[in-house]
Amino acid sequence: MEQNFTEIKRRVRHYWFKDGIGEISVGGLLTALAIYFAGHRALPPVSNAPLYLDLGLAFIFILGIAFTRRLILIFKTRITYPRTGYVEYRMESVSSLPVRIGIFIAIAAFILLLIMIGRWVGSFQWVPALLGGLIGVIAFGVNKLAAGLERFVYHAVLSLVLGIGFSVSGLPPQYGLSLYYLVLGVWLIGWGGRILKKYLRENPLPERGADD
Amino acid sequence: MTDGLRSLTDLDRIIHEPARLLILTILSGVVSADFLFLQRETGLTKGNLSAHLSRLEETGYVRIEKTFKGKLPLTICKLTAAGQKALAKYRQQVQEFMKKTADAN
Repeated sequence: MEQNFTEIKRRVRHYWFKDGIGEISVGGLLTALAIYFAGHRALPPVSNAPLYLDLGLAFIFILGIAFTRRLILIFKTRITYPRTGYVEYRMESVSSLPVRIGIFIAIAAFILLLIMIGRWVGSFQWVPALLGGLIGVIAFGVNKLAAGLERFVYHAVLSLVLGIGFSVSGLPPQYGLSLYYLVLGVWLIGWGGRILKKYLRENPLPERGADD
Repeated sequence: MTDGLRSLTDLDRIIHEPARLLILTILSGVVSADFLFLQRETGLTKGNLSAHLSRLEETGYVRIEKTFKGKLPLTICKLTAAGQKALAKYRQQVQEFMKKTADAN
């Protein structure tokens, strides 16, 4: 019986990923980061612009995450909820202001640490591999554990392979980082698009009358 | 009849009904869910789901609110604290029963 409870709760968690909108939005965020790093590389190194961009990255990253989440909810309100129903997950209710501020500080500190390490060793060569591991193992791994969806294993493996691949490729570091984000972003957009197409085909808009 | 078997008679009959147990289990994993989602997940008809939800609302296990998400009208269902407590108690009773019958065998 406990297995049934667990299975039902897992199915409810699956629902968040059922339409592929999350993957499309995260793919969009990663593609935007790819453009950021490509632009970063294109700036003249003698100016202070790259330093300001470095410092602004934490804010861009965090604002990007917040914007992506808002975007996902907008798309879900328009596409998913009218077709298969609305669900509010528990995560939103526990994200109190102190927790959000804590997450903001932790992400900002992590990014600044990456920048400092990069400047200290004089190279961002292994940043793609590090990010590949973090995004792959933490982000996709957590989703795999929570929802049990096989596709997150593919995303995690690709993230790792791309990260290590671009780190040892010999490309200029920020091009490697930019390409890592670009390929992973496009992969997620493509995968999410395929899932969304299937979802829309299988779930036409129902005629909504009174519920009771 | 053993105590283990007798404990079955103490089960909450409101929750023991399979459709209502399914509704409560779904709601226990989320903050709230709307009527359409519950209908799809449970496979119940509109009328059947509505009747079960009304019963659960009467007993104070579920709170039902009519609201809007953008322009979309929603019937939002939430598990109440009483509902959470009753579901936890039910699960515990069933687990104990299963354990006792397994030990007896």
